[in-house]
Amino acid sequence: MRVWAFALRSLVRQPGRASLGVLGIAGVGALLFDMLMLSRGLVVSLQEVLDSAGFDVRVMATDVPFGGPPVTGARAAAAAIAALPEVAEVVPVAFGRARAAGPDGRVLHAGFMGVETGARRPWTLLAGDDLAAPRPGPPSLVVNRNLAEALGVSPGGAATLRADCSRGASALPPARFRVAGIVDFPFDEAAGLSAAARLEDFRHACGLDELDEAQLLLVASREGHGPAAAVRAIREARKDLHAFTNEELVARFQEVGFSYFRQISTVLSTVTLVFAFLLITVLLTVSVNQRFAEIAALRALGFSRKRVVQDVLCQSALLVGAGGALSLPLGLALSTWLDAILRAMPEIPASFRFFVFEPRALGLHLALLAVTAVLAALYPMRLVAGLPIAATLRDEAVT
Amino acid sequence: MADLRLALLLLLAGLLAAPASGAGPAAAPEDPAPIVVSRQLLRSQGLAVGDVVSLSSDPSGREARRFRIVGAYEPTPDPARLGDAWLEARLHLPDLISLTADPADPQAGEAVQAINVRLVDPGDAEAFARELAARLPGLAVRSTAAPPAGRVDPFVVLERFHLAIAVVTVVASSVFLLALMVMLVDERRETVATLRLIGLRRRRILLQVALEGLVIAVAGAAFGVVLAAALQAGFNRFFQWRYDTALVFVHVTPAIAGRSVLLAVPLGLVASLVSSWGLVRRRGLSVARR
Repeated sequence: MRVWAFALRSLVRQPGRASLGVLGIAGVGALLFDMLMLSRGLVVSLQEVLDSAGFDVRVMATDVPFGGPPVTGARAAAAAIAALPEVAEVVPVAFGRARAAGPDGRVLHAGFMGVETGARRPWTLLAGDDLAAPRPGPPSLVVNRNLAEALGVSPGGAATLRADCSRGASALPPARFRVAGIVDFPFDEAAGLSAAARLEDFRHACGLDELDEAQLLLVASREGHGPAAAVRAIREARKDLHAFTNEELVARFQEVGFSYFRQISTVLSTVTLVFAFLLITVLLTVSVNQRFAEIAALRALGFSRKRVVQDVLCQSALLVGAGGALSLPLGLALSTWLDAILRAMPEIPASFRFFVFEPRALGLHLALLAVTAVLAALYPMRLVAGLPIAATLRDEAVT
Repeated sequence: MADLRLALLLLLAGLLAAPASGAGPAAAPEDPAPIVVSRQLLRSQGLAVGDVVSLSSDPSGREARRFRIVGAYEPTPDPARLGDAWLEARLHLPDLISLTADPADPQAGEAVQAINVRLVDPGDAEAFARELAARLPGLAVRSTAAPPAGRVDPFVVLERFHLAIAVVTVVASSVFLLALMVMLVDERRETVATLRLIGLRRRRILLQVALEGLVIAVAGAAFGVVLAAALQAGFNRFFQWRYDTALVFVHVTPAIAGRSVLLAVPLGLVASLVSSWGLVRRRGLSVARR
């Protein structure tokens, strides 16, 4: 305990340089903390969004996570999977585009989704009602808030969409819908326009009544079995399809997607640590050099070699500890700013965050700073350990 | 464009299903049509220029056609596709259409996903796009020179992000630099005291400190630029190997080097002056007192 108190007094004796050292470490530490949050931010966000809808398994036609060809014979595939004891629910989903005219005549381009309705929905209802069972009159439609505002409609209102679900250009007649509710789609961009209808109504609007295809089958595993068991059962039952748990999908996407941010975070973390190591080493070395006479005097008074070495190590730990503690709130504030910059990136869902706090990132941050503190103290500790007491005191007396 | 990629993926699925030369299900009597394949595909499948491969738009390899590889190409580097496997083949358009067109669709042979237009004057791109869109309703005409209206260029966003990181790094470095300079100045307390006592004026000492700071800052900035230039080849080689791409990741341009020097030198100078001022402004005797 006395070692720490002594080291603290040594630092406090020169508050200017100690404060600047702590501030410098706080700045570097904040950047390191942010890079650690960035390294897994998008992955954690993707996992959260995938889990939020209540479906824990995705089934596709190929092992390409996004943008692969559709599942053909979707009804039969969904029925076969739904019959498995490990599966609670299957929801086929098809994607397309749609155009609509805004109140000012401006053409609005929106994402359009067809969903086989079940107990779960891949969206969150914000206002109005969810998609209803077929009934006389226009089919029901749910839209996101952006599209509702752009169209100037509210639940109960009407919307006319010109769907485009083919790969080439199409000139389908417009389809009239009744807006049942306003929903939040988890993968929407901040300014994205989106709508969803029942799969049957979607196909009808797209002129694809006879086409039994879906881009994706969303599957909820039955309680007590879990997603891994459901995936095994689906792979066994339908060898022509590719099933993934959310974790597998995230891991797969991590291999090919988000590479840029993972790499930049690795490079910047490494550079930051090297930078911190060099600067703390220089700070401590210069400080020790200036205190040679004082340290020699302490040794002459009876301080052991171990004791003065511990003093240098404790000073390093106090500098890095104080800077590291300050780096956490600083890093969180900085991450908010950096996140706002990166979220302007196109095609990034509004619910995604680039910088996500995880206990893992905090643990790694503290461990890296601790290692840096020890490594940076090694050279000055060696200088202190090898200090010749008599020669140093004689030099001091002569000068 | 995404659809075209999808088509190529399908083609490649067929290629991967039946890569053996001369082993196509329906050998055509005529000479196979020529294709070029990406360097990555050539290497990953152990192919060679001159090989005959079978391509199909169906993952099962149904209705495959034989093609001869007449060359390999390096795909145009695309940062947005970093980490993707560049397994691609390029066919003549009629060959691609005949391979992928739906026989039930009489218009399939006439359909393409996009038409690329090269203008005599690239500066006319926006006006040309507007005029063509007005003349041909139903076509989406976009200039590739700028992102569509309301859409931010991802590289502009990345540039902003890098700038923000640079600002944070410079601020943290400046604080460290100041701490170091304070210590170094403190170490020279006796020298400054002696100079003051033998009659040198404050301004003279401050000028000397400023010149020293300037020399150190210029040397440090120059070393930084040389280090960055020396490291860029290593960075590029590592990431080009890691992602199997010809993309250039780090490029130290004269403009960037100049900007770094312009930022570093004044910072070093200011740090020298600020750290020295506390010592120089005191009276000679008080500086000499320990």
